[in-house]
Amino acid sequence: MNPLLDQLAVVALILAALGYFAVRMLRKGKSGKSCGGCGSGATSDRRFRSK
Amino acid sequence: MSAPISTPASGPAREVTRYVAIAGNPNCGKSTIFNALTGLRQKVGNYPGVTVEKKTGRFFGSHGEPMELLDLPGSYSLQVRSPDEAVARDVLLGRQPGVSWPDVIICVVDASNLERNLYLVAQMLELHIPVVVALNMVDVAEQNGVVIDLMALREKLGVPVIPMVATKGVGFIELRQAVSRSPLPPPSICAQMPIVLEREVMALAKTLPVAPEVARGEALLLLTLHDKALDEVTHHNRAIIDATKTAQQRLRTAGIDPISAPVDARYEWIGTVCAAAHHAGDSHHALSISDRLDGWLTHRVWGWVAFVGMMALMFFCIFTVAQYPMDWIDNGVAWLADWTKAHVPEGDLQSLLADGIIGGVGGVIIFLPQILILFFFLGILEDTGYMARAAFIMDRLMSKVGLHGKSFVPLLSSFACAIPGIMATRTIENRKDRLVTILVAPLMSCSARLPVYVVMIALMLPAASALQQAGIMLSMYLVGLVAAFAMAWVFKKSLLRGDTPMLLLEMPPYRMPSWHGVLLRMWERGLLFLRRAGTVILALSILLWALLTYPKPAEVDATPSQALAHSVGGRLGHTIEPVIAPLGYDWKIGIGIVASFAAREVFVSTMGQVYNIEDADETSEPLREQMRAEKRPDGTPIFTPLVCLGLMVFYVLAMQCISTVAIVRRETNSWRWPLFQIAYMTVLAWLGAFVVYQGGRLLGFQ
Repeated sequence: MNPLLDQLAVVALILAALGYFAVRMLRKGKSGKSCGGCGSGATSDRRFRSK
Repeated sequence: MSAPISTPASGPAREVTRYVAIAGNPNCGKSTIFNALTGLRQKVGNYPGVTVEKKTGRFFGSHGEPMELLDLPGSYSLQVRSPDEAVARDVLLGRQPGVSWPDVIICVVDASNLERNLYLVAQMLELHIPVVVALNMVDVAEQNGVVIDLMALREKLGVPVIPMVATKGVGFIELRQAVSRSPLPPPSICAQMPIVLEREVMALAKTLPVAPEVARGEALLLLTLHDKALDEVTHHNRAIIDATKTAQQRLRTAGIDPISAPVDARYEWIGTVCAAAHHAGDSHHALSISDRLDGWLTHRVWGWVAFVGMMALMFFCIFTVAQYPMDWIDNGVAWLADWTKAHVPEGDLQSLLADGIIGGVGGVIIFLPQILILFFFLGILEDTGYMARAAFIMDRLMSKVGLHGKSFVPLLSSFACAIPGIMATRTIENRKDRLVTILVAPLMSCSARLPVYVVMIALMLPAASALQQAGIMLSMYLVGLVAAFAMAWVFKKSLLRGDTPMLLLEMPPYRMPSWHGVLLRMWERGLLFLRRAGTVILALSILLWALLTYPKPAEVDATPSQALAHSVGGRLGHTIEPVIAPLGYDWKIGIGIVASFAAREVFVSTMGQVYNIEDADETSEPLREQMRAEKRPDGTPIFTPLVCLGLMVFYVLAMQCISTVAIVRRETNSWRWPLFQIAYMTVLAWLGAFVVYQGGRLLGFQ
């Protein structure tokens, strides 16, 4: 494979991975956190906090 | 109130004709009814406190009209004691912003415990919201010899009463019809309060800035609060609180206790309802079976034997039954890596695909069978009602270290994942007890630690039998439990000092597990695990590969080890090496520890990438052999049994989970507690691994 193409493909995959985390972080900020492992979500309801 | 409802002036057009709330005592089948009506898969279980937040779903009435259904956490009364109970109260009183006041309440009642369940019904009837009583578990009531006269119950309550067996789908057509009925009038019957009290309630209700429908209920709740609780009320101004206190004083002068009088009135009313509609039969047979089982499972000695035995059986199955599918996945991953190497020209892209992506993701996917078996057993324990018994035997120990008995369910949930465990602490009334439980919950060994344990056990004792392996894994779970109890004791004696209240826990009846439900939960957890492997772990594997590959050394003939040392990841590992050297770890293990801060299971795939081999999983011989063959500069092996044991202890005690940090931040409404938690757990993990490694060496072990 052309070395340039090889490097471009690698850079594209790395950027895609970084983009994934950026989008994930933005989405979570808007709609409340959820655990990727168990799917549990936390409400942003203030009433639950520090009661 | 009745359907269809007009569009609010300020909001968008309502797409649903009615808002329906499901309320009831804990563990009476609310979520089962919610799931059956909406087709959703909200978690259900045979123990109190499964639902701790409201859940919404959509369903259709008997004429096809869309309705929104709200599943509320279980509550014994509207006089709340814990944050989860407050959710139900606030929704029903229209206090919760963004949530519509329900048009109908489906009040789920456990027919086998009618008298106790009717207390909440009595309070619902005081709210002026149409109520439909779903009389669930009538089959259990019949088995217990209880006879309920439905006609008399309907007449006494003045609202529709639908007999149901929610787990078998009985009664749903009638329930839909009852909820769809139009018009659906508000209740006309409720417990009669003493006249003097009623007068004060109505006078106070007029001064409250709430909707007229809920004013009486709100006033009654205010009048039944103690002075301290009244001072903590934040949703009313000072003038109303003072007016309430004055009214309470007037009532006391008139010889009426404002706190106990409404309770007495409701129980008196319940007595008349039960006298007419409830006939307790001979429940000797059912009780004796339950009692006989409880005699063993909650016994001081046999209870513990049964508990440890069940856990040991679970881990034994995890090691034996899961081995075959794990081998299949292992072979599949190896084949895919080989195929990639054969078809992609040599270069960075080939390395990224084969070693980074396939090695990294494959190294985590291989644990799917073990995760499924873990959730199969947990599902059975939840469905049978054993969880409440386990909480009971644990309470003897937990109360000694100052942990609230209700902490057990959150701690047990944390064995699967700390996130639902920490959310389940909402059932704990006292803030300090809740905080202590949140602080120690991540010490329970969650399913993400499983991969690390499996790798280390295989390295530590390569020739061990499945029973021995299960024994070591069980001991790791016990280390987490003991550490949690010890830290809880420390916190209760220092930071969060306070008395430990007595445990009052409802023992649900033993039931046969719902196999459909257990398998469904396994399936869901399996899908979530795979989704995580295909998203977070995949992206992390790519970034890890980049960190372990770039920058490349200038020398063309550099060895893989030199190239790794030159990379960002390698330099990071070297930077923290002085801190972890006393634990027996080298810089390569350091890379794994740093990389797995976000998620513990990443440690395995990182090790696979670090050791630069094709199959980054624990069962493939190359990784195990390579790790076993790894030597220090003086020629001694790195992964000695002491190092492996120390690493396992480190992972038992370390935080290493970014999702847990986020959830603790949310639940405590502060960064102080999650940061404190990271700090104390990291120090504890370091000390634990240090004691194991250095102590073991002092005793002559390797």
